[in-house]
Amino acid sequence: MGNILAIAQKELKSYFSSPIGYVLIGFWAFLFGWFYINILAYFARASMQMAGMGGPQSVNINQDMIRPLLYNVTILVLFVLPGVTMRTYSEEKRSGTIELLLTSPITDFQIIMGKFLGAMALYALMLVVTWIHVGVLFIYGHPEWKPLVGAYVGLLLLGGCFISIGMFISSLTKNQVVSFMVTFSIFLFFWIISWISSSVGPTAASVVTYLSIVDHYDDFGKGVIDTTHLIYYLSFITFGLFMTAKSVDSERWRG
Amino acid sequence: MIEVQHLTKRYGRVTAVDDVSFRVERGEILGFLGPNGAGKTTTMRILTGYMPATEGKAIVAGFDVFDQPLDAKRRTGYLPETPPLYPDMTVLEYLEFVAKIKGVAGPERKQRVNAVIERTRIGDMSSRLCSKLSKGYRQRVGLAQSLIHNPDVLILDEPTAGLDPKQIIETRELVKELAGDHTVILSTHILPEVSQTCQRVVIINKGRVVAVDTPDNLTARLGGSQTIYLQVDAGESDPSVVLGTIAGVMRVVETDRHEERVGYEVESEQGHDIRRDLARTVVTSGWGLLELRPMRLSLEEIFLSLTTEETDAPAAAGGETANG
Repeated sequence: MGNILAIAQKELKSYFSSPIGYVLIGFWAFLFGWFYINILAYFARASMQMAGMGGPQSVNINQDMIRPLLYNVTILVLFVLPGVTMRTYSEEKRSGTIELLLTSPITDFQIIMGKFLGAMALYALMLVVTWIHVGVLFIYGHPEWKPLVGAYVGLLLLGGCFISIGMFISSLTKNQVVSFMVTFSIFLFFWIISWISSSVGPTAASVVTYLSIVDHYDDFGKGVIDTTHLIYYLSFITFGLFMTAKSVDSERWRG
Repeated sequence: MIEVQHLTKRYGRVTAVDDVSFRVERGEILGFLGPNGAGKTTTMRILTGYMPATEGKAIVAGFDVFDQPLDAKRRTGYLPETPPLYPDMTVLEYLEFVAKIKGVAGPERKQRVNAVIERTRIGDMSSRLCSKLSKGYRQRVGLAQSLIHNPDVLILDEPTAGLDPKQIIETRELVKELAGDHTVILSTHILPEVSQTCQRVVIINKGRVVAVDTPDNLTARLGGSQTIYLQVDAGESDPSVVLGTIAGVMRVVETDRHEERVGYEVESEQGHDIRRDLARTVVTSGWGLLELRPMRLSLEEIFLSLTTEETDAPAAAGGETANG
């Protein structure tokens, strides 16, 4: 465990000893702020209209403001997480530091978990940034906090899936740009994989819908932590990390 | 301390290391000598557990590097060809990180870091970023890194590559100092380095071991005859005939001629010092003696003769490399 933490700490530090951590968080905060302003404006208009009509049905801040806002985070991760994972292995391979790690008395599993936790920590930090915006809603409104727990657990797991796949891609190449582009393409594919469901047969449709990372987030967004989706995410992460482990190991054999 | 048995490594169809076997005793410095691409780095990477061998086994500090990699790695320090530095870390941060992953316990860490900083003389650079270090310092920090967990075995891949002459001497001295407590394998393609630092040499070419011996023995073994270079100003006459009649001389070859000055290589039987007779003959014949020096078969020539394919046998090589 000490070794895992040592690697994780080194990874997290490395994001902030170069511009990359600041650029990623800045980019994230700016885009999230943009979504926030737009959705807030829409929400304010809708609630004003509702109040003007004086109907019994009023707008719900959880349902109509926070949920779409956090759903947009699933778009943000598409662009930002490839930047988080692109260097995890590529940079070590390019600079030769991978030789240091692989000849140290630590296991491949510890290196992979360390890198995964380091990337997750940066992602968690990004999610913490969104609390500022959500916190403002708590000052001026009265949202329910419980559904938020589910939503954030969901976002963390969803990001974990992307990060595990991103690490796998990074372990395949020395080139960070290639790593970024391939990871982004794969993320995008997993995001839009369910679009085809309407034009294929029912079996294929259920398969692609099941594979879609984002579709599994829907329930989390409502604040429901369903074991089906929990297991999907956890097994996806395990699969991604397993592929990374195999890739690092095969690299050893091939030289 | 280190035992390598029938090690073979193939990349696809290419055989990088072919049936290599050797032993290194405790406290010894072994030189690993070979041209670029001979399989030195591959062998070292196998010994450090970076990659597995296709066949054969390697035992480092009593542990099989494949079956008990963690135990072997805990006792091995490794400096790869390019020092594995993290550009964004300061030297101090870097060494602390390496100490952690090499398993140096918390309380000792600070003391170990200070010890290697002192030993490799990088104290004045300790708060500098690794990316801002000069080549010489990068190499030293790399060396410091390999020493941090006080390993029994040190594996250094070309530790003096790219250093200036002063740094090279310092590094060699450091390696020699280390030899007492550590067993060292050092790879290089620079020959004087081997004769100056190593007790034993493994010469490797195209993945195969071509010789294992001490530098002195290698020189003696291949030096079947002695060659003396002689330069005279003989005017009109031809000294080669007269020189050939001196007792013990096997062969006289003219190597260069600038107007009156003629250079010869005079080969004699082993153990027969003909220098006095040569000098006397030249002087009594009335020629000007311009130069007379023994041409010792250097390690360089041995190396060339062992690693060049055209040479058919080491015995023949001794005689043929006189103009090397």
